[in-house]
Amino acid sequence: MIGNLLHKQIHFSQLLFFALTSSLGLGILLVVFQLFIDTQSLFNSSSDLLSNQTVIISKEIGRDNAFTKEEIEILKQQEFVKKVGGFTNGTYRVKGSVALMGMGGISTDMFLESVSDRFIDVQNENWKWTPSSRKVPIIIPKNYIDLYNYGFAPGAGLPQIDTNIIREIPIELNLIGTSERRIYNAYILATSEKINTILVPKSFLDYTNNLLSPDKEVNISRVIMEVTNPSDPKLLDFLEKNKYQYFQSELLSSRISYFLQLVLSIVLGIGILITILSITLVITNINLLILKNKQTICQLYFLGFSRKQIAAVYHKISYKILAVSISFAFILVVICKFSFAPFFDNLGVKTNAYSLIYVFIAAIVLFVVLAWYYTKHTNKKIAQMTAVNTSLLTTEI
Amino acid sequence: MTIQIESIIPTYFTPASSEVWSKVFSLESGSRYLVKAASGSGKSSFFNFLYGLNNKFTGTIQFDAKDIASLTEPEWTQLRREKISIVFQGLRLFPELTALENIQLKNQLTQHKTEAEILAYMKRLDVDQLAHKKADTLSYGQQQRVAIVRALCQPFELLLLDEPFSHIDDVQIDNATSLILEEVAQRNATLVIASLGNSYNIDYTKTLLL
Repeated sequence: MIGNLLHKQIHFSQLLFFALTSSLGLGILLVVFQLFIDTQSLFNSSSDLLSNQTVIISKEIGRDNAFTKEEIEILKQQEFVKKVGGFTNGTYRVKGSVALMGMGGISTDMFLESVSDRFIDVQNENWKWTPSSRKVPIIIPKNYIDLYNYGFAPGAGLPQIDTNIIREIPIELNLIGTSERRIYNAYILATSEKINTILVPKSFLDYTNNLLSPDKEVNISRVIMEVTNPSDPKLLDFLEKNKYQYFQSELLSSRISYFLQLVLSIVLGIGILITILSITLVITNINLLILKNKQTICQLYFLGFSRKQIAAVYHKISYKILAVSISFAFILVVICKFSFAPFFDNLGVKTNAYSLIYVFIAAIVLFVVLAWYYTKHTNKKIAQMTAVNTSLLTTEI
Repeated sequence: MTIQIESIIPTYFTPASSEVWSKVFSLESGSRYLVKAASGSGKSSFFNFLYGLNNKFTGTIQFDAKDIASLTEPEWTQLRREKISIVFQGLRLFPELTALENIQLKNQLTQHKTEAEILAYMKRLDVDQLAHKKADTLSYGQQQRVAIVRALCQPFELLLLDEPFSHIDDVQIDNATSLILEEVAQRNATLVIASLGNSYNIDYTKTLLL
């Protein structure tokens, strides 16, 4: 009966407004959250084009185009540069041979380079080498496999290969230095979309350079830099001024990545702002519902109803509306997820249903946190309203 | 319940000298008291102090030797449900509820009376035919009778009636007082009635001039 009595003052339109503001805020928050989870792969996996906030630079072709230590130091000091790493190459001739099953062998001259591991977009525990290792892992550009699969293999009547098969191909590296010659067994560990060279672990290159051509100096031919903002005019000016060469397209994808991160951050910021505003509106709404019943609440309290009993009526209303809003917000997330899917496909981002599970958990956490907050707020308001001496009834002398 | 009152004075107005303010006295169970005073002398304030709505006074009030200043919110709620019942001067019925719903609202807290008993009480005060009418459609005198029935629909050891019969005719006053006295006697409760002057033919243990 107390519920009916308190509900009499509450209009449907008011509850609708309550539900709408609540749904709006929660909907935006959950959609942005879902977007954030789905696009994480875009930024976290370093193999993706969009995470590529790196620029590889080289000097103009000439007799001496190695980078000196001083030049590298200067690069490190630039404010727009986060990390700098150099490519070092082998100071010996390399002959690589492959024995394909039943096809005889293929032998070719090649080269080896290495770069600091933190710039490599392959996370693999086998990416290491010690003098006692049986085989040398190699990373080759993904382009090479594509060239073979779509260019060479069809014409030569050879089977196409994928990254799993490629590991099984035994490679023999014949290294001919100025003072020694060695043969190593090697295999292709992975392919890279980011680094366009044939990479071996740095430990291997240092060891063999030292062993095979101790008299030759090791040069840094190209430099890889991680930059804070690839669109920074200072960066472009710096590269121009020093006549460093770089790939335009590489910088472009870095810019896209930077831009996308910026847009997502802005969307998240606006989402949080709208959510805070909507929570404020909901609180105002609760206050309004309670205030409208001020007299009734006071009278009920002084008849012997406890604050807990009175507050329970409002708790029930806010829980119901919160549950409706959260469900509505979750449905919105599901709709958005499927509407965004084609766009993500275009970006090459694999979205999966797991993000919905995270959003669902987030929705439950939000429900609990908001329900707790609304409950606390309602209890406080009712306690204030029914406090001794503040009652409407004490006006009687 | 014995109520011990010691030197209470409201802090928000200065009352004239009386048999209540600044005095030490007690209200005993099974006794009937009339608080008689002109309008504005603080009858409702005195009731509000006893009912815990207002604590702006100096001095002490003790219920069974317990200072009411130390009572917590749940303790007050418990008291209002089971030990103290009141008819406010302003009645405080809910206008959107019917007469019977108003009474049931209070009764449901303790399930003290059955609906049949409530209707029988209403019949004694001649408001049974109004049971299903909205409270705000009743005359003030009818509302007063509904409020009296409501006050009886709970266990109590102290019954506070603040000018309960001001708009009721003499016949109905007699009906009401006999019902009230029966209930009070049955429970061995303390009865305190505030009145502007009329003593309603009740044999009071003591009259307190305010």
